[in-house]
Amino acid sequence: MRLLSSAFVALLAFARLSFAASSSGDSVLVLLDTSLDRENYSIFFGGLEKRGYSLTFRAPKDASPAITDYDVPNFDHVIFFSPEAKSYAQDITPQSLVGLLSEKTNLLIALSPKQTPLTSLATEFSLILPPPETPLISHHPVRSERPTTIPVAVSSSSPLLTPGIPPVWFSGAPHALGNNPMLVPILRAPAESFAADSTDDTGADGIVDATEKGGEGLWAGSQMGLVTGFQTNVNSRVVFAGGIDLFSDEYARKELPSGTPSGNSQFARDIATWVFQETLTLRIDSVEHHRVNQTEAPEMYTTNDEIVYTAHISSYDSRTSTWKPYSGIGDLQLEFTMLDPHIRTSLPPVPGSPGAYQVQFRAPDRHGVFKFILNWKRKGYSYLSSSTTVPVVPPRHDGYPRFLSAAWPYYTGAISTSAGFFLFAALWLAGDVKGERKKGSKAE
Amino acid sequence: MAGPKSSSKSSSASSETSAAIATLWKSYLDETPDRLKFIDAFLSFIVLSGALQFMYCVLVTNYPFNAFLAGFASSVGQFVLTASLRAQVNPENRSEFKEVSPERAFADFALGSIVLHFFVFNFLG
Repeated sequence: MRLLSSAFVALLAFARLSFAASSSGDSVLVLLDTSLDRENYSIFFGGLEKRGYSLTFRAPKDASPAITDYDVPNFDHVIFFSPEAKSYAQDITPQSLVGLLSEKTNLLIALSPKQTPLTSLATEFSLILPPPETPLISHHPVRSERPTTIPVAVSSSSPLLTPGIPPVWFSGAPHALGNNPMLVPILRAPAESFAADSTDDTGADGIVDATEKGGEGLWAGSQMGLVTGFQTNVNSRVVFAGGIDLFSDEYARKELPSGTPSGNSQFARDIATWVFQETLTLRIDSVEHHRVNQTEAPEMYTTNDEIVYTAHISSYDSRTSTWKPYSGIGDLQLEFTMLDPHIRTSLPPVPGSPGAYQVQFRAPDRHGVFKFILNWKRKGYSYLSSSTTVPVVPPRHDGYPRFLSAAWPYYTGAISTSAGFFLFAALWLAGDVKGERKKGSKAE
Repeated sequence: MAGPKSSSKSSSASSETSAAIATLWKSYLDETPDRLKFIDAFLSFIVLSGALQFMYCVLVTNYPFNAFLAGFASSVGQFVLTASLRAQVNPENRSEFKEVSPERAFADFALGSIVLHFFVFNFLG
């Protein structure tokens, strides 16, 4: 009986593991500040646990469980919900958090208007934070909440959000987006909002001056971001949210001024699925290259060869926890490069086979060492890059085209000269024989 | 007055050259032996073939340049060999080529031509 029940529990545990929704693991460390109550975020955390993540809670000042042990991360993802603490335990520093990203651990970080070590961390990711204690303020739409609690419309242009999310409640600090192409804007501030350092608008004059001065220090408008993501070169993701109340139960349950429920729970779930590598996660399964009408990749190509290049790409399906072939990329490009791309062509999906992208092209007339370079970077999606090095040699001495139609005058010239020579020699010798016979008869 | 005179002068000049050419041609036909005329016919054929190839290369394209070189070298080489055969076989040059009999000259010519054609077809590509 006990054996059966323990086997049943083990089976359940395995079943839970098999439903892991993330492509890079499901152990999450939640650094929750001691001043915050876990129950206030039960919708968010409960949603994560339902999707198969195992959450471990810890205060930032606690020493264990450490986020890394000898530079090996202990968890697959880290949620940093400690927006106002000024100091942490020894293992949490901006450098160690960036080190986590290099080890392919994803981060979800909540900021606040206060100045904390996270401010300098966000600056490293090209996010420019406003002066301390300047939260986002908006006096529109008319509502009964304070001006710092703002309903923000969710634009449908970001590929990682499900379309049709109702406006979300937000309170916290905005940030300006720098010039980094790896930034993924998720939520932008409303156009009529601004950042000022108190709720009775004493700092509003500064904003007005900034508009006249030409925009320096202009913390206003939808140029500011509220929730921004960043995808690193190793495809690990980090999201900076301007305030932690976005994830709270209170905001999830609060009704919008128009009476409809807010979109906070759906929005938080979308952010979490993107950061934890569930959605928009792609990878290259394999690449092949060969000559037309062949299947094996030759050791070296010859100039002007017809080459066929195939890439197999799949995306992660979180519902089945498997990688499925994905043919939805419409703008994949292939470059055939030797110091500079000699060939740059599009790599379209093959209509019949899911996940296969193929192109046929002619190798250039130059010999050398070339690379097939596949480099696809789009905001929100995993970066795809692959490089295959291949030699291209000039034709061998018997590999050149022969019997060219342009050379027929030369062929006829040479052949006629040879034929003429043989004819001449034959007639000359025949003349000799005749002459001898004549001479012989004459002599007689 | 000066017109008809100069015209008659120029016509006499042109008729002089044409008369000279006619005399040259007649004496060539009468005085050269048959064998030498046979060699001359072959020579003129080679010259024609070489000139045609050169015209094609200059006017149309020299794209398979190795083919042009092979064909043109075939014509030129064959011309040189045949001209040397004619010089050695000519009875009027007997005094210069005492140790080379006409048969020896023809054998040299044939061997040289065979080697030339071998190289030409190898380079013709």
